[in-house]
Amino acid sequence: MTTTHAPPSQHTTPNKRNKVSLEPYLYLLPHAVLFFVFTVYPIGYGMYISMHRWDMLNDNQQFVGFEFFRNLFTAGTPQFEFFWRTLLNTTLFTVVSVPLLVASALGLAVLLHRPIFGRSFFRAVFFMPGILTVSVMGILWRWMFDNQIGLVNAARDLLTGAAPIPWLSTEGLAWVPIVVGTIWWTLGFNMTLYLAALSNVSVSLYEAASLDGATPWQQFRFITWPMLTPITLFVIITTALASFQLFGQSLTITNGGPSRSTQSVIQYITEEGFTNSQISSAAAMGFVFGLMMLILTGAQFRMMARDVTSSGDK
Amino acid sequence: MTISAPQPGQVTNAPFKKRRLPRDIPRFLILSFLSILFLAPVYWMISTSFKTEADAIATPVQWWPANPTLDNYIAVLTSPDGNILRWTWNSLYVALLFTVLHVVVCALTAYPLARMNFKGRNAWFWIILSSLMIPGIVTLVPTYIMMLNFNWINSYHALIWPGISGVFGVFLLRQFFVAIPKELEEAATLDGASNFQILWRIILPLSVPSLVTLAVFAFMGSWNNFLWPLFTVTDVDKMTLPVGITTFSQRYTTEYGKLMASTTLAAVPALIAYLVAQRFLEAGLSTTGLKE
Repeated sequence: MTTTHAPPSQHTTPNKRNKVSLEPYLYLLPHAVLFFVFTVYPIGYGMYISMHRWDMLNDNQQFVGFEFFRNLFTAGTPQFEFFWRTLLNTTLFTVVSVPLLVASALGLAVLLHRPIFGRSFFRAVFFMPGILTVSVMGILWRWMFDNQIGLVNAARDLLTGAAPIPWLSTEGLAWVPIVVGTIWWTLGFNMTLYLAALSNVSVSLYEAASLDGATPWQQFRFITWPMLTPITLFVIITTALASFQLFGQSLTITNGGPSRSTQSVIQYITEEGFTNSQISSAAAMGFVFGLMMLILTGAQFRMMARDVTSSGDK
Repeated sequence: MTISAPQPGQVTNAPFKKRRLPRDIPRFLILSFLSILFLAPVYWMISTSFKTEADAIATPVQWWPANPTLDNYIAVLTSPDGNILRWTWNSLYVALLFTVLHVVVCALTAYPLARMNFKGRNAWFWIILSSLMIPGIVTLVPTYIMMLNFNWINSYHALIWPGISGVFGVFLLRQFFVAIPKELEEAATLDGASNFQILWRIILPLSVPSLVTLAVFAFMGSWNNFLWPLFTVTDVDKMTLPVGITTFSQRYTTEYGKLMASTTLAAVPALIAYLVAQRFLEAGLSTTGLKE
């Protein structure tokens, strides 16, 4: 479909030789303009906002320097308390969810790697939840873990006769629906990456190992696992980055509650900026949190950069 | 007969062809059990959507709707608090426009970066590649203020333009364009083809798989976008599906039948799209951005 659309710029004609040098820049122009307006400029503009006391109703914004950044590092301000608290919440989510997300994806990929009856069906089943939007997934899992009549409590009742657990309104336990929902939702993505990587592992390695009498566990431990190290690194970093972006799941499942115990840092930043109209404060938090993410992204970027360089050589 | 033949578009490992029926049984059982766990929430969503409100919250739970009804769907589709069909249309419109513009802009940018020599080419490539590192949260607040200044709050513009200059797409296409043999281009040049004709007649047709992959990613990204539309579009009629469904759920927190009917309806377009695009999706995912 997309290829039948005529691209907008058709300024160049082959016979004007002296115009050829301009041509590449014309191709780059649309992207460059948008890139400047929506990526480069907002960074500077955000810095400007964060150093002024932004007032939507006023044209003259008062310069305050690094005050909003200082607030984040001064005990006693609400920004200090809630920023670090929600950052801690998000970190907790990341630390708990990433190992589960990576291990379950790898486990499923290993189970599904070799041909088996119904493999396409299984792949589709595990991949499918990922196509749902986060709000559908969140509303669904809130209902699954409903304090009174959710399916999880019903199943518990059926199997053990235990009383329902108020998952959504108990601090600590409220993370369970968020983590379980996230695993259900995103597992298929990483599983597919692992399946692709597994299909690159040479079969002869396994055949040789079989001849030497290696058990399936030994084959996994000494062939599969080492061969998968690069992709595992990649999956861990991308999953950790995604986990730090936690927003929709906790918003729709628990709305950050009970008493902010599952509020993510992004939810707090948006609350500060868009609900409390503390635009400058929110911009400053965006920078501080962004800087932390930059370190993680840097690791991922280095892996991608290696990829660019190696394929450029070919 | 229990071992299925590898199918086109699948990531397979053909050489494992020995039949090991008994050994496969435990694996098959584990996978079946996990599939049931994975499908249970979807089953529960759909079955609740056909229950009367009393049946939805009945204890013990009703595994199958005792009095199946379409009332929830009728209520949801005719609700004055929001219009699921309208939200779906908004999502579709925004996602399609975004996808077309994104692919065109990325292809136009990737082409000279991959196939032309000009001053500043590498520098520009590295500048835009570096911006992959900038976390989205940094530009969230300033871009929101820009939307206010542009008067773009509650307009589709806010949902479409800020993301068009995505760098990942440029990177993906550039990598693909670089790998196309130079000879094709040289032959075309001898025949008097312009650069644009080379892009249009040679590069793009050869790059259909990567263009489709990028389009699928762009469409899914736009369709599933949640945070940005949540704050930039507050007018009920202009909302996209993920946001609309959330406001709906906040209004009907205790009416589970209606809630599940609305989430089921919201899930349907994605499920249909998935069934249609499944092959591209998983193939694209397994080949994109990663080698080995």
